[in-house]
Amino acid sequence: MIALTLPAQDGGSFNPPSVTSHLAPFFTIGGFEFTKQMALVLLSVVIIAWFFVAAARKGQLVPGRLQFVGEMGYGFVRNSVAKDVIGAKDFKKYVPLLFSLFFFILLNNLYGTIPWIQLPSFSHVTGAYFLALLVYVVWIGVGIKVNGLRYFKLAVVPSGVPWYILPLVVPIEIISNFVVRPMTHSLRLFATMLAGHLIVLIAGSGIEFLIAQESWLLKGTSILVLAGATAMYMLEALIMVLQAYVFVLLTAIYIEGAVHADSH
Amino acid sequence: MNNLMVLASVNAADAAPSPLSVNWSELLVVAVGFAILMFIVVKFVVPMFEKTFADRTEAIEGGIAKAEKAQAEASAALDEYKQQLVDARTEANRIREEARSEGAQILADLKEKAAAESARITEQAQTAIAAERQAAVVSLRAEVGSLATTLAGRIVGESLDDDARSGRVVDRFLADLEKQSEGAAK
Amino acid sequence: MTGEINGSLNLIGYGLSAIGGAIGVGLVFAAYINGVARQPEAQRVLQPLAFLGLALTEALAILGLVFAFVLK
Repeated sequence: MIALTLPAQDGGSFNPPSVTSHLAPFFTIGGFEFTKQMALVLLSVVIIAWFFVAAARKGQLVPGRLQFVGEMGYGFVRNSVAKDVIGAKDFKKYVPLLFSLFFFILLNNLYGTIPWIQLPSFSHVTGAYFLALLVYVVWIGVGIKVNGLRYFKLAVVPSGVPWYILPLVVPIEIISNFVVRPMTHSLRLFATMLAGHLIVLIAGSGIEFLIAQESWLLKGTSILVLAGATAMYMLEALIMVLQAYVFVLLTAIYIEGAVHADSH
Repeated sequence: MNNLMVLASVNAADAAPSPLSVNWSELLVVAVGFAILMFIVVKFVVPMFEKTFADRTEAIEGGIAKAEKAQAEASAALDEYKQQLVDARTEANRIREEARSEGAQILADLKEKAAAESARITEQAQTAIAAERQAAVVSLRAEVGSLATTLAGRIVGESLDDDARSGRVVDRFLADLEKQSEGAAK
Repeated sequence: MTGEINGSLNLIGYGLSAIGGAIGVGLVFAAYINGVARQPEAQRVLQPLAFLGLALTEALAILGLVFAFVLK
């Protein structure tokens, strides 16, 4: 990673936090290290479950405020993601998965915007790997269940392509559908979260470093960094929501491709 | 080996694993956490929301059905009312028509009767006139005869008292007169 | 004043590789916005296509990131 080394007379060099710096785990049992990330993931499960159960429990025809908010969230995933993408005929089965994914990712991302927590859980790649793998297994399973083993042929042989191009197209389709898809699916989430997290951290430590300088000019520069960091912080908040949406939308698109493989 | 090293790396954490490597304890926690969330969502959240949505759709569609029923009833009542109105109108028309034809009938009868009456009266009058005329003619003829003979007797100085003869003369004279007037009329 | 920079050349490579993905994503969404602006009712059809295009295009940039991390 890039380390900017400032003139030595102004008090040492700047060591920004890097992708390989981690907080120490809270506690360790054997090989199991319980970190802040894990606590946040479990907390998100509790918050989401509590909120939506509380919102859905009453089931009034004319919703109260809590129920209205819950219904808005649920209706968003149900109607504008699942129903619009998968189609009104088959979407119901996949709503729970899409709903859980969306709010799980959303809340874990938004941790990055909350002061003193400020750690999106998916800035560690493992969670993103897990979710993408889950989705990967689900859409391939759905494809096989709906179309039988013919699904693999449907998925890698695009219709309407002349036979002599197939040797070229099929490997590309195999790689892009079955290798690159899950990889990019997980890494997109991870990379954006990590980048957003790092930018805020680097800006924070940069401000700290600049204020510690003796020269007043350098102290003043920290204002610029602060302004830039605030703008980036806003942008990151947007990206956090957007990435949750993109992840779920892509999940829906992949599932739709598996359900209607014979019409693609 | 293609790292650009201007300075010796200052990162103490260089020995740490690559950021793309899997942390197994974290995988476990995320998997368990997501499984719990999925369970709660499948078991409680989605059924409850779906039930609410279904109830709401039901309520709205039920309301619509009710309104449609009321609408249908109202329009049926309106139709019935209109039908009744039309019936009443035809009935009234029929009655009016009947009355008119009846009136015409009565009028015609009356006219006929009046005409018959007037014809009868006219005929009676004519008969009476004819009879009177006849009587007048008869009496006139007798009177004119005797008058004429008397006059003629005075003029001639001869008694023309022979009634039978004088009667024949007068009759012939009158017949001549009639013939003349008939010839003039022709 | 002397300045020194240290770090990995990989990141410069990644920056270069991200240009392609950035242009690609820009083109995908430009076309999507154009399409929706001309025919708003087509949004439902176009949205999955746009995001599939985004996923495919961005894959290159993400592969670049992976190589930036992995190659030493």
